[in-house]
Amino acid sequence: MAASIFGVFDEVTQNKIISSKVLVVGAGGIGCELLKNLVLSGFPDIEIIDLDTIDVSNLNRQFLFRKEHVGKSKAQVAKESALHFNPDAKITAYHDSIMSSDYDLEFFKKFDLVMNALDNRVARNHVNRMCLAADKPLIESGTAGYLGQVSVIKKTVTECYECQPQAAQKTFPGCTIRNTPSEPIHCIVWAKHLFNQLFGEDDPDQDVSPDTADPELAGEAGKAALESEAKADAAGGIKRKSTQAWAMETGYNAEKLFNKFFRDDIKYLLSMEALWKKRKPPVPLDWNNLPQDVPATTHQVAICDQRLWSVQECADVFAKSLSSLKEELIKQGEGGMLVWDKDDDPAMDFVTSAANIRAHIFGIPSKTRFDVKSMAGNIIPAIATTNAIIAGLIVMEGLKVLREEFDKCKAVFLNRQPNSRKKLLVPCQLEKPNPKCYVCAPKPEVTVILNTHKITVKVLEEKIIKGGLGMVAPDVEIDDGKGTILISSEEGETEENTEKFLEQFGINNGVRLKCDDFLQNYNLTIIIYHRDKLEEDKEFQIIGDVSEIQAKYLEDKENEDKQPNGLTEKQATEAATAVEDEDEVMLVEEEEIQQITVSKKRKHDEEPEVVNGDTVKKQRLISDVAEHYDDIIS
Amino acid sequence: MNTMEGKDKTNVDKNNKYDRQLRLWGDHGQAALETTRVCLINATATGTEIMKNLILPGIGSFTVVDGQKVLGEDAGNNFFLTKDSIGKSRAKVATDLLAELNEDVHGDFLEEDAEKLLDSNPDFFSQFSIVVATNLCERALSKLSNHLWSKNVPLLVCRCYGFIGYMRLFIKEHTVFESHPDNTHEDLRLDRPFPALVQYCDSLHLETMTSKDHSHTPWLVILYKYLQEWKKQHNCKAPNDYKERNKLKEMLKKGIHRNEEGVLEDEENFEEAIRSTNMALVPSKVPSEVEKIFNDPSCTNLHSESSAFWIMARALKDFVDNEGEGALPVRGTIPDMTADSERYIQLQQVYRKKAAEDASKVSQRVQQLLHSIGKGADDQVEPLRPFMPSPSSDGHTSLFSSVGLISEHEIKTFCRNAAFVRVVRCRSLVEEYDNKSTKLQELVLHLDDEEPDDAVFYVLLRAVDRFYEEYNAYPGWYNDQVETDVSKLKACLTKLLQDWGLSLNIKDDYIHEICRFGAAELHTVSAFIGGVAAQEVIKVITRQFVPFNNTYIYNAMKQTSITLEL
Ligand SMILES: [Zn+2]
Repeated sequence: MAASIFGVFDEVTQNKIISSKVLVVGAGGIGCELLKNLVLSGFPDIEIIDLDTIDVSNLNRQFLFRKEHVGKSKAQVAKESALHFNPDAKITAYHDSIMSSDYDLEFFKKFDLVMNALDNRVARNHVNRMCLAADKPLIESGTAGYLGQVSVIKKTVTECYECQPQAAQKTFPGCTIRNTPSEPIHCIVWAKHLFNQLFGEDDPDQDVSPDTADPELAGEAGKAALESEAKADAAGGIKRKSTQAWAMETGYNAEKLFNKFFRDDIKYLLSMEALWKKRKPPVPLDWNNLPQDVPATTHQVAICDQRLWSVQECADVFAKSLSSLKEELIKQGEGGMLVWDKDDDPAMDFVTSAANIRAHIFGIPSKTRFDVKSMAGNIIPAIATTNAIIAGLIVMEGLKVLREEFDKCKAVFLNRQPNSRKKLLVPCQLEKPNPKCYVCAPKPEVTVILNTHKITVKVLEEKIIKGGLGMVAPDVEIDDGKGTILISSEEGETEENTEKFLEQFGINNGVRLKCDDFLQNYNLTIIIYHRDKLEEDKEFQIIGDVSEIQAKYLEDKENEDKQPNGLTEKQATEAATAVEDEDEVMLVEEEEIQQITVSKKRKHDEEPEVVNGDTVKKQRLISDVAEHYDDIIS
Repeated sequence: MNTMEGKDKTNVDKNNKYDRQLRLWGDHGQAALETTRVCLINATATGTEIMKNLILPGIGSFTVVDGQKVLGEDAGNNFFLTKDSIGKSRAKVATDLLAELNEDVHGDFLEEDAEKLLDSNPDFFSQFSIVVATNLCERALSKLSNHLWSKNVPLLVCRCYGFIGYMRLFIKEHTVFESHPDNTHEDLRLDRPFPALVQYCDSLHLETMTSKDHSHTPWLVILYKYLQEWKKQHNCKAPNDYKERNKLKEMLKKGIHRNEEGVLEDEENFEEAIRSTNMALVPSKVPSEVEKIFNDPSCTNLHSESSAFWIMARALKDFVDNEGEGALPVRGTIPDMTADSERYIQLQQVYRKKAAEDASKVSQRVQQLLHSIGKGADDQVEPLRPFMPSPSSDGHTSLFSSVGLISEHEIKTFCRNAAFVRVVRCRSLVEEYDNKSTKLQELVLHLDDEEPDDAVFYVLLRAVDRFYEEYNAYPGWYNDQVETDVSKLKACLTKLLQDWGLSLNIKDDYIHEICRFGAAELHTVSAFIGGVAAQEVIKVITRQFVPFNNTYIYNAMKQTSITLEL
């Protein structure tokens, strides 16, 4: 028993602890620490859930796991290890996804407190909604390198996890990836897509071949459309069957694959002349005629992580990883496929070599395997110390929550080092709920901008309602007075709708869709805002607050009046980088603008283990991550 | 052959195991960690939490010194002391369980009271890279800190007392070059371009370029050219206020190409130039922190015992005063920018080459200085850190001990970080305990307030120590004596303040609260301090980031913390 809590804690707190039942979501870095802290603070009844299994890269901080546990359930091993040290605690472990329908409203209602120790936004959104629906207090937390934060969410009292718009995940236009890469990340994304095309699940959004529908080819559009089939055939003669089937037929022959992707496809790209009027054209490579201008550092054979590889070395690694991956695929038997994993060496070798070969072709600087791994795998550095600090803070907030002292709860931010005011910790007042939040407002509404002639019901369901709006099993009905069902959560009920365009259901500008997710106990009205063309060729755009749209389009219009690629946002960014000695006017601006620039700076870290920043100031903390991180590893 | 493979295997395993942290402190930080020997005095909850957070990332070895047996309350709040171990040696049980955390870390223990060990064999403690002590009474702490201070072994003292966490670092002198400040400027020298940069920029002609080349010229070159143009029109002066900088940006905007219809082309590089104008026009100067180091007696008066850091600092100073013409060596890195890789690499080379030249001049000065203080090629200099990484022929950073001469690689690293070198000097315990210390006067300035800052807990903990000295127990230790202890503690506080010659009114609420704590160690507070303290140890070991100087207080009730210099 945790003897020492008695005496230090007042009687009310003691009783609250003794009679509590709590849920920990996630048994990773924070989860392990948290479980230990709860057990040793006298929490008598703890449930913990995690879908993951243990990986060797967890062992530097997830102290309840050892080498012999690699591959086993995190939740289960965490429970066993904790019990081994402290057999008195009652711990229930689930090796499962918190998003499964087994963990419904009734499940959440059992607990006095839910604590998230998660590493992804999808699950965070879901738990946020479940806690709102069950009216249970939630403690959110996250760490990234030396930075961390803890925050408390209580329905109608504080902001919920989704009250502020979340920075959009950085995606790249398909034609940049397929036709005109200009940064290393473009080549890395392409290489990951290539991996999936060759070994994984076929996803039409991950095509790696030249894209004849590139908007830049608009002048030649008619011609291109007519000829595209024929041309694609010419570019390797494989268009009609899947890339995977063709590669398999060649026996994953390195020379054939290399020459297809790095010679013939590139030659085909070169034939799209419009693309190269203002760009440096790519230079095709031939397997049998690789540049031999080997950099000075490569006298020896060792291929290592933190050195740049020559083209020849890349080709060698490409061939070697191809054959290992082929073996793995064969082992899986008929219909098998591989899932790309940054911690799987051949998969990582493949992506590094393919990305760097492509980078060479397009005159883009190459990257070391170490760096490619962090970019391709969205790696957020993680250490024991930060998790320990954050888990300590969570319990302290948890005690206030149990006492229902929500006015005393804080959002606490951990700095990398004491700031100029000598504070390592920055506690902030919790924000009030956003009345326009599309999740926790009494009548949630959201506006989605899209082209109703181009968006199918399937895209609406998968990419917008599930992907963008975080629902798990939605029912969608058109608010047309007739109650037309567009999407049903019952399998098969609305299958005939999936490939149809929204416009075919009479969905046009201003139409309202009523969405209902039974599991999340969540009703949301989507207001459709039709536009023929969206900025940056996006497929759709989700806007929480309607007034934002008006502001946005006013601004867009201003830009259009000025110049085609309006400088305003760029000018904004400039203010954000203003130096300290800048005039006061500029510094005020900086404060407001940081929010915009965050997502830009953080383009490689799509999923930091950090709660999405709630206010401008908080976001800045997080935005430091990537910036600083670059300077450490360089 | 087999051993080679075995070794490679170990490296791969370690690289995978430590991947997420290597991305923070690099191979050289990891190497420093792996050669570190840490001593823990007293396996309290706070002590074992700190060790856990050091063993997981892979220190070399640890030794636990503790003369006590495991008690029931230990098992209640210490994860590494189990119920079935009650009555056994706390040092042994904790060491066994801690060692399970990481098979690459060697654990050891000594079942002996630290204070007794200090009397019988004080040099035992000198063998460690750093000593971490928890729950030491004032008397033992004095002995320990005085001894380690004289031996130059860093000491971190930690304590969790109810809702209060406390840390104190004792380190005579700690030098850092990878200090990772929060805001750094690029070192581009556009305000004082060096000849090779001028030559390179002049070799490119924006007016005659194809539009493809125009839109792929690095912004640095563009900004350089427009700056020269500006200077021509303004008596050779660079823009020096907001208005002028905006005018320069206007000039840049006008330089963006237009297409046949007169519409502006999408020239990302010009936009980058405009965006970077403010940053690039910050004058290159020696930062005040570095200036302080240059004026430090250790820098100005080198002698035969001077450490490598100070010899390099002096060489750097001499460089700045002479061939550097007032500026530090060029850092040699340029930011990512829109450009064709050919010219980007050329530009990169221009900076790199200049950086290498500057570093080699500093290196010559280092050799001269070594000579002037009577160090020959075979003499030893106190090394910068136990090991310095050096890129070997395979590009891997291999390690070699830097005894003897200061290596070229060290000098290069030093030059690259010239703007960020730092020296931390903590005050000793003797200085802190001096009743006349001016730090005390500063400390208590705001403690009379209605809402005093967390420094108030420093004063209270000192009063608690005095209480312990007098009564050999902590206030509120026994539940039935809390009330009498309140008045006793109040008396201790009054005496303490008298000794300090200060009149100060600390609210009774605080005294009551401290008594209610009864010296209990709350696990969650220990867990927090375990994280913060281990992070400070890692800073000291890796010589990355600047450790706190010198006292840290955490208030778990309010989730606030403060650093104080005492
Ligand atoms: Zn909300």
